[in-house]
Amino acid sequence: MTVGGPRGGHPRLQMPCLSKMERMIVSMQDPDMGIKMRNQRLLITVIPHAMTGNDIVEWLIQKYGISEEESLHLGNLIVKHGYIYPLKDPRSLTLRADESPYRFQTPYFWTSTKWPATELDYAIYLAKKNIRKQGDLIEHEKDNYNLLHKRINHTWDFVVMQAREQLRAAKQRRKGDRIVIDCQEQAYWLVNRPPPGAPSVLEQGPERRNCHTSRVQLNMDYYKREIEYCRKAMARTRVKSSICLEGYIKFNEQYVPHDPIMSGCLPSNPWITDDTTYWAMNAPTVLTPTKLRVERWGFDFSELLTDPLGRAQLLEFLKKEFSAENLSFWEACEELRYGEQSRIAEIVDSIYQQFLAPGATRWVNIDSKTMERTLEGIKTPHRYVMDDAQMHIYMLMKKDSYPRFLKSELYRNLLAEAVIPPETKKRVFPFMRKQRHSSPSPALLLPAGDAEDKIKGPTAVPEEES
Amino acid sequence: MVKEECKALLDALSKVTACYRHMVLTIGGTSDSQNLREELKKTRQKAQELAVANRNKLTAVLKDKSVSKEDKAEFERLWVIFSTCLEILEIDMRRALELGHEFPLNVPKKHLIQTGMSGGTSGVAARAMSIQNMKYEAEHNIDVVDLKDLENEINQVGEMMYEMEMKVSVPQWTVEAKQDPGAELKSTISVGASSIGMISVEENKSFCDISKILAGIIFSAVLIIAIVLAVCVVKLS
Repeated sequence: MTVGGPRGGHPRLQMPCLSKMERMIVSMQDPDMGIKMRNQRLLITVIPHAMTGNDIVEWLIQKYGISEEESLHLGNLIVKHGYIYPLKDPRSLTLRADESPYRFQTPYFWTSTKWPATELDYAIYLAKKNIRKQGDLIEHEKDNYNLLHKRINHTWDFVVMQAREQLRAAKQRRKGDRIVIDCQEQAYWLVNRPPPGAPSVLEQGPERRNCHTSRVQLNMDYYKREIEYCRKAMARTRVKSSICLEGYIKFNEQYVPHDPIMSGCLPSNPWITDDTTYWAMNAPTVLTPTKLRVERWGFDFSELLTDPLGRAQLLEFLKKEFSAENLSFWEACEELRYGEQSRIAEIVDSIYQQFLAPGATRWVNIDSKTMERTLEGIKTPHRYVMDDAQMHIYMLMKKDSYPRFLKSELYRNLLAEAVIPPETKKRVFPFMRKQRHSSPSPALLLPAGDAEDKIKGPTAVPEEES
Repeated sequence: MVKEECKALLDALSKVTACYRHMVLTIGGTSDSQNLREELKKTRQKAQELAVANRNKLTAVLKDKSVSKEDKAEFERLWVIFSTCLEILEIDMRRALELGHEFPLNVPKKHLIQTGMSGGTSGVAARAMSIQNMKYEAEHNIDVVDLKDLENEINQVGEMMYEMEMKVSVPQWTVEAKQDPGAELKSTISVGASSIGMISVEENKSFCDISKILAGIIFSAVLIIAIVLAVCVVKLS
């Protein structure tokens, strides 16, 4: 069973602009200060409570003290939202500031996000219209009718039954009232199911739907939360923008010569010249690293550590200094952090045996507090038990070993031996220059039969296009 | 026959629901009055009685295991129609409550919306109650007093619907409509006759002008006849 309205999900709220319009409409009804009503004369019947577009515009100007342009715009909005509907040209919901007649919509049919128009009601309306017009519905109404017949097929009998009953009930009223009701219903469905191409007034953007956030209760809880939030915000550490901008500029100055786009890359950009030497020379494991690469190791410890070649050189250096276990420990902790879940207990155990147990072969020097905490954590091993110890060792290497590494002979030799790749020579004779073209399509390298089809393929397309 | 009885009850409920919807439409408009509120009260009470009767009958039939397959399918279809009708009734009752709160009748500062309706809804109410004429016996502040009862009745209907959902499980996708699209046109309904005429007039853009032209034509015709008669009189005399 379809669950309707408040019984189902969260209670809906009326869109705020609609509530404002409702208040405006109610104030228009004032017998002294409201709009003056006229009578609408049809052939025989006289229907009261009609007003001209002019009346509406003038009333708005008087009541709110606004210009005519603004009042026209405001009136237009009211008509578009279905609170007032035109009598002469019912399909065009616009306000004309002339003698064209308008009338107020009944409160049941006021546009509402609290009571959205249901498919069932629309189906009943279309069925009624079908009966009245003997099948002569507008195009999009016909489409909607058929669609609804499919969609709510299980209650279609009810739709037909109810449509007939509603028409019979309407017969019990005076002619004038019957006309008014028909006009009201028509206007309501023009607003809630606009014809294709017409903008729908009820469309709300994704942010707007959340009426709950905009409606805040200004009570104790709200203020308490605000105070807490402000207190936390004040306690945040902040860096002066002059300082962070300086740091930013320094970083950029340092790295600009290393950026292949900003400073070009030697020997040549593979994407342009099809020469892959650049990649070959900068592969992770290469015998002789390039000069730029070795220079980068001097910028920051993390650069050294993340480069496999750099890490290997660091290991060599640490071996000489008899502190290679630090790096091994760090690597083992990385393996723990990023490794498989199933192997965690095993890895933790091996780390403990190798590095942390008293009398271990490669015992690392961690301060007692961290050691205590880590040993506690090992009892319930998880991915991040070694974090404190790993950070301690990392900082140790960074502050202690790294500066010495940079000053060491090993590093200086590396710098001296590093290679600066020569720039590819530009050919002197133009027609000897290497043609720049995209690599051949791998499809053409397929065996003969397929290649023929593929060749035919690309040629067929240009024929079609021409 | 059980089927005929069920159908008759359902038709009655549908009729009362349509009348109730019709009356809720007029709340807040200029034809709103204490009488309307009383009519609303009586109509919805009648609707509730019918709903309970429908529910009892249909649940009894659906629980009966000795019913044949086609009959069961038919009763399930009636059940789905009944539950939809009840949904519409509940929504209309909720709207009536909200509109009743928004548009109290005896407050001088609160004005009713001038919707153009001038006649009453007594005919509709009489149709709903299946009587000839409505009698109005309520006090003059029924619009306020009735709202409490309305709230209770809404809760009752809500509970009834919940019970129905829990006790009887009729999958809606198995029910197929008997009527094809456009079936409503085939039956002889003279409902639209008079309103069709009025609506086509409504569609005409300048009906005021038409009435003027008609008047002009009639006047000139009368004038010509008068002249002809006068000439005849002159000639004969």
